[in-house]
Order: sequence, then C-alpha cells, then structure tokens
Amino acid sequence: MTELPDFWRTEVFHPLSVHFPIVLLLMATLFKLISLWSSKITWDHGGRLLLLLGVIGIWIAIYTGNLADGIVSRQLCDPTVLKEHENFAYTTAWIFTAALIIELLMRYIDLVKTRIISIILVLLMFAGTGTLMYVGHLGAQLVYQQAAGVNIPSGDCAEFN
Amino acid sequence: MKSLIQKGIILSSILLFMACGESTDVVESGTYQGTIKEVEAAKTEIYVSTDDNKTLELYFTENTSLTRNGSEVEFSELKEGQKVEVKVEKKGKRLDPLSVKIME
Repeated sequence: MTELPDFWRTEVFHPLSVHFPIVLLLMATLFKLISLWSSKITWDHGGRLLLLLGVIGIWIAIYTGNLADGIVSRQLCDPTVLKEHENFAYTTAWIFTAALIIELLMRYIDLVKTRIISIILVLLMFAGTGTLMYVGHLGAQLVYQQAAGVNIPSGDCAEFN
Repeated sequence: MKSLIQKGIILSSILLFMACGESTDVVESGTYQGTIKEVEAAKTEIYVSTDDNKTLELYFTENTSLTRNGSEVEFSELKEGQKVEVKVEKKGKRLDPLSVKIME
C-alpha cells in the first residue's frame, strides 16, 4: 500500500524559502525606483533594507535549491529546465549582490554617492528583476509541467484513508 | 575618479551577466567517451565533456555501474580530468547513466 510521504522533505524547503526573496527584491527595486524622484528618505532607506534582506533570502533559496536539485533531478523528464533555472538563479543572486555592494558603497563613501550611480543601481536592479521573473517562470514550469518535488497521490487515494 | 568608478560598475555589471551559467547538452542513448569536467559528490553527479565538445550532466542512479579495470569502484574514485566511457539512456530529455568506466 502506498504511504503518504512526510511533508517536511528536503526538497520542500526550497518552495518554502524562495518566495520571501522574490517579494523582498521586487519591493526593493520599486522602493529604489521611487527614491530617484522622491525626497522622502523612507524609500531610500526602505529600499536598502529590503535589498539587504532580499539578498540574504536569495542565497538561502539557492542553498535550499541545491539541496532539492540532488533529489528531484533524477525524476524530471527535462532536467535542462532545472539547469537553466539554476543558472539564472545564480545570475540573479549575483546581480542583486552587486546591487547591494553598490548600495552600501553609496551609503558609506561620499565619492560614490552620485545621481548617475543611483540610476545605474536601479537599472541593475531592474535587470535583476527581469532574471528573477524568468527564474520564477522556470521554477513554475518545473512544478506544473514536471511535478518537481511534488507527491502524486495514487489513483484511489488509498494513502489518505 | 568618479568616472572611473562609474565605468567600473558598468563593466562589472556586463561581466556579471556573461560569467554566470553552464549549459549542458542532451544526446541520444548510446556510449560516449570524454573527460570528467566536474564531480558533485553530494549529489552523486558528474559532468562529462565528450570528445565532440558536448557537456553531459549525469546523475547516478541505483542502477548505474561504476567500474575501473572491470571492477566496481566507489563514487569517490571519480576525479576531475579523468577519461571515462559512459553508456547513457535518454528518457525524455534526461540522461540516465547505465554505466561509467574509468579509462585511466
């Protein structure tokens, strides 16, 4: 008889952790964009905090993704999608990490604090947002087309009795 | 100085896009010879660069046999740069390694 698997499987920690950086980094980009025009420091400081938390979150998501990779890859019919998901995830993480470094340089070194670097920072974060959305799209393809990490119940649902 | 910093940031951003990622290839079922490009021991996974410049990503399964001089050996025997012969079965776009022979 089929048994219902434990919910807290290694591969489940990735979807549990991945949505936090998605929201944090999208909001960070929005905050920093608004800060280009707004004189309220809330946008600038808020954007920095969101970016910092988002970068921490994305590296945690990459760590949990690597754990899941070793398990789900053997079950996928097209692991090339997973490879692309992974590659773009690293690209996204490095883009936002670079953005965070620039942001911190601007915060602490007056020489770097210029209008043009603020614009470059936002453009970099927009590029990161683009790759972030593509990573999310590939992740969704893995789950909804290939059932990555998903338990598929038996036809008669016997394991739920 | 400011201009130099700005140029540095732009250049770093472009390099960042170019530096990330490693592509892999899908081949038909068969036997291929090549060199181990990378070993991921934690995932029992290897990347093999074939003689015709394709990169195969191979996750070992419970049915994969790993041999050297005809004898079964442990996964830990695999090292980057080793010449190997791999027999793979293509399922969808997944390559299941049936056997891996260490050639040296």
